[in-house]
Amino acid sequence: MNADSVTGSFVLNGERKTVAYPEHHTLLEVLREECGLPGTKHGCELGECGTCTVLIEGVPVLSCLVLARQCEDQAIETVEGLESAEGLHPLQVAFADLGAAQCGYCTPGILVTAKALLAANASPTSAEIDEALSGNLCRCTGYRKITEAVDLAAARLRGEDRALPSLSELCGHPHGDHSHE
Amino acid sequence: MKNFDYARPQDVQSAAAALGKAKGSRPKGGGTDLITLMKSGVLTPPLVVDLASIPGLSGVSRLETGHFRVGATTTIAEVAEHPELARVARVLTDAAATTATPLVRNRGTVGGNLCQRPRCWYFRNLDYVCSKKGGQTCYAAEGENKYHAIFENVTCNIVHPSNLAPALWALDATIHVAGPTGEKSIPVADFWVRPEEDISTENVLEAGEVITGVSFAPEGASTGSAYHEVREKQSYDWALVNAAVRLDFEGEVVKEARIVVSAVAPIPLRLEACEKILKGQKFSDALAEAAGKAASGGATPLRDNAYKVHLIEKCVKNTILDAARRAKVRSGEPR
Repeated sequence: MNADSVTGSFVLNGERKTVAYPEHHTLLEVLREECGLPGTKHGCELGECGTCTVLIEGVPVLSCLVLARQCEDQAIETVEGLESAEGLHPLQVAFADLGAAQCGYCTPGILVTAKALLAANASPTSAEIDEALSGNLCRCTGYRKITEAVDLAAARLRGEDRALPSLSELCGHPHGDHSHE
Repeated sequence: MKNFDYARPQDVQSAAAALGKAKGSRPKGGGTDLITLMKSGVLTPPLVVDLASIPGLSGVSRLETGHFRVGATTTIAEVAEHPELARVARVLTDAAATTATPLVRNRGTVGGNLCQRPRCWYFRNLDYVCSKKGGQTCYAAEGENKYHAIFENVTCNIVHPSNLAPALWALDATIHVAGPTGEKSIPVADFWVRPEEDISTENVLEAGEVITGVSFAPEGASTGSAYHEVREKQSYDWALVNAAVRLDFEGEVVKEARIVVSAVAPIPLRLEACEKILKGQKFSDALAEAAGKAASGGATPLRDNAYKVHLIEKCVKNTILDAARRAKVRSGEPR
């Protein structure tokens, strides 16, 4: 431990965590390097892209702009905290079902931002989903599927039995007509 | 990011004392601007004094005078979503709601928004020792200046980045400050410093002084206010031009007008010439058009930003129309 290290303690994904880290490090750096949770990504480092988003006390914030020192005793949730004993979180299942990830680099930030949205609003409209996710950039521009996946997860969390779109619908062939192939 | 000492005082006096001790120390609200400046090396404070955990510095309250007070560390999200503020200070909640992204608004604070540094790419790039960083040259004057000033751009071509600033000025707000010598209140109109007065800063705060909050009178029964900004992207962008307008009516006549624009000069600008066109006149679309036209008076655009001259005229006109429409709706409401 170097001279500038401090010891901090917070509640990470439901479990009390005490770690030593360089005093000037951001929460993002401490999560990835000292806590061994690389799910949260380094992106722009300037608050523009949203891929480093985590929940602090349930509120989505940019961990690249939060000093770890500020997080003493706070509850922090990362993408690694979404999965439970019952399996993947319904948001993760919906993203997988609909193929709402291309390169996947923005996905951890989007999943936790969407989780906070659904905690506050169980039935968001497409416009409300887009607004809530407007700080999370997807370089692959897969926004439409992302919005649809959040909508599907919200429906399932409300207990609705919504059928998945068929493969042909997902591939842009609404009538299943593959005759030109 | 270079290492620094970190202090988390529990009261404003301790914060001011800590900041006064080490030269170059910086107060921190949400950190959404400060941390980016520290990462780029433009700021290398020996000490960061976190105001975030000082009790009583956050939140919206109503004072005995009937005025509203918004604490310095109140988040921009809290302002944007505050139902009572939306009724009494719509110009402010509109401005807050357009700020950056939801993720920035969840952390960024009112005090930090007012004190954020300019987005000029020469200022933010360490390779350019521009006049604002102690050099001899404003590189924007002859360089890439699409997003720079069209007014008062003599010494330095930055535009002021705060979008809450014009909104608070339209409300004739007061900025409350605490420092080593005690507390003081500064009318928002007197808060700004032109580059010609001191190129190293954008406001009157001295070392050790921090904003503790802002306060303003609620809008009256015949008042309408609005904030508009024009930008290139829907999300995470700074205004190309913006306008904040408050209109007080007596029947159909404009009794009082406050028109403030920003993103067009090194500090926010109150446009008294536009206000004069409206004041004492029966309101009409043509009157709003004439006031909008006057908004570009005296503009001195640079090579790449003449488009802002046109934008500021339209933005001021549309914001006036929106404020007048809201005043009309409000005066039609049962009291």
